[in-house]
Amino acid sequence: MLKKEINELLTQTDAGTPMGEMFRQYWIPALLARELPEDDCPPVRVKLLGERLIAFRDSKGRYGLMDEFCAHRGVSLWFGRNEEGGLRCPYHGWKYDYTGQCIEVPSEPEESGFCEKIKLRAYPLIKIGDVLWTHMGDKENRPPEPVWEFATVPAEQTYTSKRWQECNWLQAMEGGIDSSHVSFLHSGALKTDPLFKGAKGNQYNQQDKKPVFEVVESDGGLHIGARRMAEEGHYYWRITPWIMPSFTMVPPRGDHPMHGHFWIPIDDENCWAWSFDYHPVRALTPEERQAMMDGYGVHNKYVPGTFRPLQNKDNDYLMDREAQKRGETYSGVWGIAMQDASLQESMGPIIDRTKENLVSTDNGIIMARHRLRKACEALRDKGVLPPGREPEHQKVRSAARVLPPDEAFKEAMKEDLTARPGVKQTSV
Amino acid sequence: MPHDSDDMFEADNATRAGRGPIDHPTMLSSCARAATAAEARYRVNYPNSRTRTSRIVALDATAAEAMFRITEDPWNNAHFLALSSAGDVDPAKTAAPDLPLSHPDGAAADLGVELDGADLVVLIAGEGRSAGAAEVIARECFGRNIMCAGLVLAEGKSEAALDRVVNSIRAFTRVLVVARDGDYVPAMLTALRA
Repeated sequence: MLKKEINELLTQTDAGTPMGEMFRQYWIPALLARELPEDDCPPVRVKLLGERLIAFRDSKGRYGLMDEFCAHRGVSLWFGRNEEGGLRCPYHGWKYDYTGQCIEVPSEPEESGFCEKIKLRAYPLIKIGDVLWTHMGDKENRPPEPVWEFATVPAEQTYTSKRWQECNWLQAMEGGIDSSHVSFLHSGALKTDPLFKGAKGNQYNQQDKKPVFEVVESDGGLHIGARRMAEEGHYYWRITPWIMPSFTMVPPRGDHPMHGHFWIPIDDENCWAWSFDYHPVRALTPEERQAMMDGYGVHNKYVPGTFRPLQNKDNDYLMDREAQKRGETYSGVWGIAMQDASLQESMGPIIDRTKENLVSTDNGIIMARHRLRKACEALRDKGVLPPGREPEHQKVRSAARVLPPDEAFKEAMKEDLTARPGVKQTSV
Repeated sequence: MPHDSDDMFEADNATRAGRGPIDHPTMLSSCARAATAAEARYRVNYPNSRTRTSRIVALDATAAEAMFRITEDPWNNAHFLALSSAGDVDPAKTAAPDLPLSHPDGAAADLGVELDGADLVVLIAGEGRSAGAAEVIARECFGRNIMCAGLVLAEGKSEAALDRVVNSIRAFTRVLVVARDGDYVPAMLTALRA
């Protein structure tokens, strides 16, 4: 249960809101790099944290992310001509460079310098890995560039996708740190999904549906450990890291690539679910990459030409009750990503958390909300910058391991939970 | 049709996998309409849970200090109890009624009575010297099918000291939380409707 005012504090991310200001302290994923594949390619509409923006890549390969609308008459620059070092409004020819600076107003004398008085709000856009990242906060508090392992391994070792999720970011993100749902909602996928199946750890998941949880604060967020019975009194541990405000990783299975998510607000009722897979020490196989593109694992299929999942609320997520009866899926919805998204969207655009009934195994969620609230308030009231911005906080991994009963994951798996270039993931 | 068939994805929005074309229009109860903010106002408004019975037990002085800061807050049906003996107890020789527990006003409390009808027991530990008491409480909880959770107060502790505290109650809880921030005690109890 969460009080109404705290629910609002955590779920509202427009400019000027406490959580909105907090998100603006981080580099966040804005676009897939392949959305702007070449110089002078078509511009792309982007909505982030309740702000309508336009992204483009100019003639020199520089990325721009700025207010979507021309300062002259408010025309959307999605109609703009991306040419000769800037984006030109097709209505009256006003032109903007990648910093949002107006560089041409054809109707005014060039010597007047009028265009220098016009500047659209713009944010930096940088390419790291498959992702274009932006920082929407004040320049003086800009954090170091992101060093997440999935974005910094060689290109052949990583794959990233994103999908539109039609609900508030927080209820989507909370699914990423809710380890106890895996044994139920995703139980069918553990047996069949090519990016999950075949791991020894899956058997432990299936055999012990009542895991014991251990939630430990870390410098950047949390480690959420789920412990299940293994052989000879040993425990099978799966550790999910959460880094503030919205990065999560799924504990790995066998030698399958590791995966995780970012949950980024579009506005208060929509978010981007970013999903990545990577292997720390080897290239993804063609079969793995194809499976990701085909919507397996944490990825999904799309309505052609969009980032909207093919299974969506307009078609009841292609619910298949017969497959549910046959035991192929637990909820009747195909695919891990949409099994989660369908349930999270069913809660409504923003869940009323005053009515929920959390239990003690929900402590990962309770603690994440607590840390987000404290960080929001510290930023708002004292200007304290939140955790998760520092490179050291971002050098994390999920891990899975069998441990003797007297060993705590926090100590025994300390190295396993740290991103180490060239070192294989710890997995079962 | 197998669910992992690509054929499934060739279905457009007007078909359902394995069932051919939709033979009815989208109904008012379909996911798209049901998930709107407008529909949320028709959710049945009633108390969907009965008052929980939570028992919060401070296992040492550090835990008691944190707990006593919040006992006067408006809780639902939570009882706050503190271990009133300085030393730990021998679990092999201590039955539930013999555990030296007290209420915030200092009156003695009987663990057996306190656990009657309880839904949740939260053990709060700050020093790691009460493993025996934790075992007695956890044993009683196990016998009565009561969820037993642990909350370790990590504020100001070295790694080694923290490990001692965690190890003192790890074996006795189904959920263990290590919190750096004392404010987490009321946050957790509020979230759990204690």
